[in-house]
Amino acid sequence: MAKKQTPKRTIVGSPLTPSLLKELSAVDEFPETPKDFDPQAYWVNMYRIWTCHGFRESGNQNVGFLRIERTAGKANQPIILKVRQEVIQTDGLLHTLDAKIKCLNNQLASPVQWHLRSNFLDPNRQNIHDLGTDEIAVIDGNIINIRARGGHKFRREVRGLLTSDWCLFEAVQRLKFDKEPSLNFDMLEGLGLLKQGQCLSYSGAYPMKMGGKNVSLHRFDQLGDGILPYEYWLDNNLRLVAVTSMNKAYILDGQAEKTIKQRIEQLRKSYRKTKSSVRK
Amino acid sequence: MNKHAKPKQASHINRREFIKLSTSSVAVLAGGIPTGNVFASRKSRQPKPKNIVLIITDQQHIDTIAAGGCRHVRTPSLDKLKKSGVSFTQSYTANPLCSPARSAVFTGRTSSECGVHINGRPMRSDIPNMGQWFSQHTNYETFYAGKWHLPRTYTLDIPGFKVINTGIGGFGYLCDTVMSRACESFLRNRSKSKPFLLVASFMQPHDICEWLRLNMENPDGLRYPQLAGRLTELPSNFNFDNNEPKDVKNRRLRNDPFRGKSKWNKEHWRYYRWSYYRNIEHLDAEVGRVLQVLEDSGYIDDTLIAFISDHGEGMGHHQMVRKSSFYDEASRVPLLFSWPGHISENKTEAFHLVSGLDLMPTLCDYAGIKPPKNMRGRSLRQILEGNVLSWAHTVVTEVSSNTGRMVRTQRYKYITYKDDPVEQLFDMIDDPGETKNLATGSNYASTLTEHRRILKDWEARLDVAPNVPNTDAWWYKV
Repeated sequence: MAKKQTPKRTIVGSPLTPSLLKELSAVDEFPETPKDFDPQAYWVNMYRIWTCHGFRESGNQNVGFLRIERTAGKANQPIILKVRQEVIQTDGLLHTLDAKIKCLNNQLASPVQWHLRSNFLDPNRQNIHDLGTDEIAVIDGNIINIRARGGHKFRREVRGLLTSDWCLFEAVQRLKFDKEPSLNFDMLEGLGLLKQGQCLSYSGAYPMKMGGKNVSLHRFDQLGDGILPYEYWLDNNLRLVAVTSMNKAYILDGQAEKTIKQRIEQLRKSYRKTKSSVRK
Repeated sequence: MNKHAKPKQASHINRREFIKLSTSSVAVLAGGIPTGNVFASRKSRQPKPKNIVLIITDQQHIDTIAAGGCRHVRTPSLDKLKKSGVSFTQSYTANPLCSPARSAVFTGRTSSECGVHINGRPMRSDIPNMGQWFSQHTNYETFYAGKWHLPRTYTLDIPGFKVINTGIGGFGYLCDTVMSRACESFLRNRSKSKPFLLVASFMQPHDICEWLRLNMENPDGLRYPQLAGRLTELPSNFNFDNNEPKDVKNRRLRNDPFRGKSKWNKEHWRYYRWSYYRNIEHLDAEVGRVLQVLEDSGYIDDTLIAFISDHGEGMGHHQMVRKSSFYDEASRVPLLFSWPGHISENKTEAFHLVSGLDLMPTLCDYAGIKPPKNMRGRSLRQILEGNVLSWAHTVVTEVSSNTGRMVRTQRYKYITYKDDPVEQLFDMIDDPGETKNLATGSNYASTLTEHRRILKDWEARLDVAPNVPNTDAWWYKV
C-alpha cells in the first residue's frame, strides 16, 4: 500500500504585509481607487477578512467580510458609520454584526452613540434567538449608558479620548502622512471591549509591486494593550486598502460579501450532509 | 453553610515542617484513596451553587495575571476573578498538550486512559465526560461554547453538551470575541430559574503559535522601533542545561527560534514575550465580557466559577516555546475558583499540589453528586473552603505520545522518558527555575528511587486505553 503523503507545510516566517498577502494568494491586486475618492465624503469600503495559520500551503482562509459605509454632514457635523460584519464559524454557524455609529468629526471619529445588533445563524440559516443581542448606547461624559434587548441597562466607565476599531478604519484615511505626532487613545473594540493605552503613528511609505505595477503604500501602526500591532495600509489616494494584524488581514475587495456567502453555503451544506449521513 | 458565612481560616503551617511530616504520606496517597467514600459522607450537607461556569484557556502560562504578581500585563478581569476566590500556584496540567490535557479535565482520567495521547484523538466512549455525567446525574443544563478539540477543534456536536457556539480553528483573536458575545447574549437572555453548567472555552493565548510561524525569521531590527526599551526582559532561566532527555532537546530544536535562517537574537526573544503578553490581555478582555454579564445579570452570587488553562507556554524559559514540555512553564497552569461567600476570597493557595485531573471531581462535589468511578484526581472543595488537608497530593503528568512522565512531589520534580537513560530531578524549592539536574549525582539516589516507585505505583492503577502506544516503557513493567 502506498504510504500516505504528508501535505507540504512551509512556514511563512515573517509578518503579513500586502506583498506577502499577494505571495500567499490572498490578494491579486487591490481595487483601483477612483481619483476623486474623498475620505471626508460618502464612501463604502468592503473588506474580506482573511486569516493565516502560518503556513504557505494550507490553513489560510477567508472567514468573513466587513463593510463600512460612511456618510457625513457638513464640516464639523457628526460622521455616521454603518457597519456590517459576518464571520463564519465551524459547522455552518454564522455570526453577524450590524452597527450604526454616530461619531464626532474629530481625528479619531470618536463614537458618541450607537445601535449594535449581534446575531447567530444556525446551519439551517435560522436565527438563534437566545444568542442575539440588540444594544443602544450613548456616551455621556465618561459613562457609556447601554440599553439592551430585554430591558437590560448597563453603565460602563471610559476615560480620555476614545475610538473604536471600526471608527479607526474611517479615521486613518483622514490622517496626514506625517511621522509626528502620534495619537494616543483608548479603543472600544467591537463597541464592547475597552483596550487602553493605544498609540497610532505613521510608519512611512513602502514600495511594492501590485498587478505588475510599482505602487507605494503608506503604513500607520497601532500598538497598545490587549492587541497585537495593527498595520493600516493606504494607497496614495488615501484609501485604506488593507489592515494586517498578526494572523488576520482585512483586504479591500468589492466581491468579499459574495465570496463569504458562497463559502458559508458550502459549509452549511457539508454540515447538513454529515448530520444526515450520521442519522442514516 | 450560610450563604454569606466566612469560610474557615486556614491554620498556618510552615511549608518545610509540613513536608517533613508528610514525606511518608506522599507515597501512601499516591497509591490512592477511593474518592467515592469521601463524597458519600459529605454529599447531602454541602451547599450547592445554582450554576457552574467553567472557563478554559489555551496555552496560558501561570504567571500571566497582574494580581498574581506579573508586571508585564494589564489583566483587570483575571485580577478580579483572582481576588474573588482561590488561586492555586502549584497547579499542573495532566498533559502539556491540548487534546490530552482537555481529555483529563473533562473526565478526571489520565490522557492515556482516555486514549488521547496526542492531539485530535477521540475520547474513549466508555469514560463519561463532564457534560454526559452532569446531564445524567444533576438538574444542571449543560452548555458548551468554544474550543473542544476532542477530537475536532470546534464542533456543534459534543456528547452531553448543547453547543451554543463553535469558532474557527487556530484563530483565537477572531473566534474568542465571537464566542464571548455568544456567552454574553446567552446569559442575558436565559431564564434565571434553570440551573446550568456552561463551559466557555477560549482559544487565546494560543495565537502565539501562529505568531511564531509568522515571526520565525530573525528580523534585521525591531519592526516597531517605538517598542525599544519596552520589551519584556528575558527570564532568569533562559539558558538551559545540556544534560536533558532527547525528547526535550529535539523539541527545542524543532521549534521556530531554532528553525529559521539564523537563530533568534535576544531582542527577538523579548519581542516574542511582549507579544505573548498582548495575547493574554486580549484573552483578559474576552473573559471580562463573560464575567461582566454574570455580574450584570445577577448570576454572580449563585455561580461557582472555575478557571483553568489546558497547558502552559514555554515563553523562552530554557529557550523553549509552545508546550509539550515538563518544565514548569509548559506544565504548570493557572487554576482559579470563585463563589462569593462560599469559598475563600483573595487566597493564594501555594501549598497543595493539584492537577487538571482534580477539576471533574471538584465540580461533581459542588454539584452534590458522586464523580464517575476511578477518578485519578480529588475534589479540591475542602481546600477552597479554607482547610489545609492532611494529604500531600502527588501529581503525575504525561506527554509526548505516552513516552514521557513527570512526577511532582512536595519538594521534587522527577522526569523520565521511554528508552532514554537521562532522567531529570529538580529541587523545586531551592531551584524553582529547574536549572540544576540532580539526577546525575549520587546524593539523590534514594530520592530518585522513591520517585520511580511512586510512578510505578501510580501507573499500576491506570486502565490505559488499547489504542495508546508505548506501553512497553519501564514504568509499565511492574
